[in-house]
Amino acid sequence: MGFSYKEKNLIASLGITLLVFGWYFYQVFSNQMLTLEHEFTFNDILRPIILIVVLEIIIQSFLAGKNKNKEDERGALIESASYKNGYWVLSIGVWFLLIQLLYIGSGGWYDILKNASPSFISHLLLLFFVLAEVTNFITQLYYHRKGV
Amino acid sequence: MSKKLTNNIRRLRFESEEMSQQNLADKVGVTRQTIFEIEKNKYSPSLEVAFKISNEFKVPLEEIFIYD
Repeated sequence: MGFSYKEKNLIASLGITLLVFGWYFYQVFSNQMLTLEHEFTFNDILRPIILIVVLEIIIQSFLAGKNKNKEDERGALIESASYKNGYWVLSIGVWFLLIQLLYIGSGGWYDILKNASPSFISHLLLLFFVLAEVTNFITQLYYHRKGV
Repeated sequence: MSKKLTNNIRRLRFESEEMSQQNLADKVGVTRQTIFEIEKNKYSPSLEVAFKISNEFKVPLEEIFIYD
């Protein structure tokens, strides 16, 4: 069985997210741009988001032109189950960050976060949002293939 | 032993001049993948979709879906 319109849609969204944010986080974390000297603005974070929106519009309109399939109740059920998985990933990430930031101790992540700039913490939060979105796409693809 | 919901949609399609999954999907307002999953007993449709399938084949609901 080939890929359905929805599956192609999801693969495109997953690919775009991984490509754009993969490149973005690689730039941010590997080049150590997150120092106090480098002032990160909201525009820095907005840029990859705008790029994703533009790419999504182009690819989705291309896919929609070739398919007449629509959403249905099974698609809605899969979407709702997948959002729940994404929510868990986001919750774990946010709680991990909160505990590490408020934990009175030393060593490991505590030392890293204690000396981190607000930009670094903001980017960690953004990373958890992106991971939640990626989880959502992957579980949707899995449920579409294997059933929900 | 736990009961399972099965159905005769595949047979009914063939008895209806070999209606395709896409054709049935279009008539009941779902995707072809949903019909495929229902036929394989991997997805239980809503009551609304079940009634639409029943109306399409002009067969009572209990003759299409079997809970046993």
